[in-house]
Amino acid sequence: MRKNHLTLNMFLLIVMTDIGESIAQTFLKKGLNLTGITSITFANIGEFLSAAASSYFVWLGMLVFLLNFFLWMAVLSRIDLSVAFPVGSTSYIFVPILAMVFLHETLNPLRWMGIALIILGIHFVSKSTRADIKETAKA
Amino acid sequence: MIKIFFLILLAEIWGITGQILYKKSANSAEMPDLRSIRSYFKFMKSVFSMPALWLGFACIFMGLVTFLFALAQTDLSIAFPIDSMQYIVALVASHFFLGEKITKYKLAGTLLVMAGVLLVAMS
Repeated sequence: MRKNHLTLNMFLLIVMTDIGESIAQTFLKKGLNLTGITSITFANIGEFLSAAASSYFVWLGMLVFLLNFFLWMAVLSRIDLSVAFPVGSTSYIFVPILAMVFLHETLNPLRWMGIALIILGIHFVSKSTRADIKETAKA
Repeated sequence: MIKIFFLILLAEIWGITGQILYKKSANSAEMPDLRSIRSYFKFMKSVFSMPALWLGFACIFMGLVTFLFALAQTDLSIAFPIDSMQYIVALVASHFFLGEKITKYKLAGTLLVMAGVLLVAMS
C-alpha cells in the first residue's frame, strides 16, 4: 500500500489516461459500427471477430489502449488503485462529447448534473488521500 | 438488456482482476522518480519482468473482448453507465486484495462518482 498524496501532476496524468481511453473506445465503437453486425450469437462470433480484426479503427483503438497502459503504470507506481480508479472517471466527461461529435449520439442536458456529481466525488476521493497522510503523520 | 448487463459485469470482473494484477506488479517494483525518464524506464523494465503483469494484461484483454461483445449490441451511451458498477467493485477488491484502506471520504467520493455516472445513464 502506497500512501501518496494525489498531486496536481498525478491528477493530470490520470486525466491524460482518460482522454486516451475515450479516444480508444470511440475508435473501437466506430470500427464495430462499420462491421454492420448489430447482434452477436454463437453462430456469428467468428464472422464478428474477423470483421473486427480487419477494421483499421479497431486496431487503432487497440494501439491507443496500449500507449495508455504506459501512462497508467506511471499512475499506479504511486497512487492507490482505489484512488486512481474513481478519479479515472473523467472519461464520462469526454466520452459523451466524443460520441456526440463522431458517432452523432444525442447528449441530454441532465448529464451536466451527473458530471457535477462526478467532479464532487473526485474531490472527495482526492481529499481522502490527504486525510490518510495526516493520520499517518499522527501515528 | 439483462444479457448486456451480465456481459458488462463479466467484462468488469476481468478488467478489475487485471488492474489488481497491474497494481501488485507496480507495488512490487521500486517506486520511480517520474521526473526522470531513466527511472521510469527502469520501473517499466522491472514490472515487465513480472508474471503478474502479463497475467493482468491477459485479463484486461479478455475484459476488452467481452466489452466489445456488449458494445456491438448497444450504444456507448447505454454501455458506459452500466459500467458504473465497476467503481464499487474496484473499491472493495482494492481493500481485500491490495489492503488499501476504505476511508469515509473515499467511500463517499466513490459513491458520488457512481451516482454521477448513473445520472448520466438516465439522461
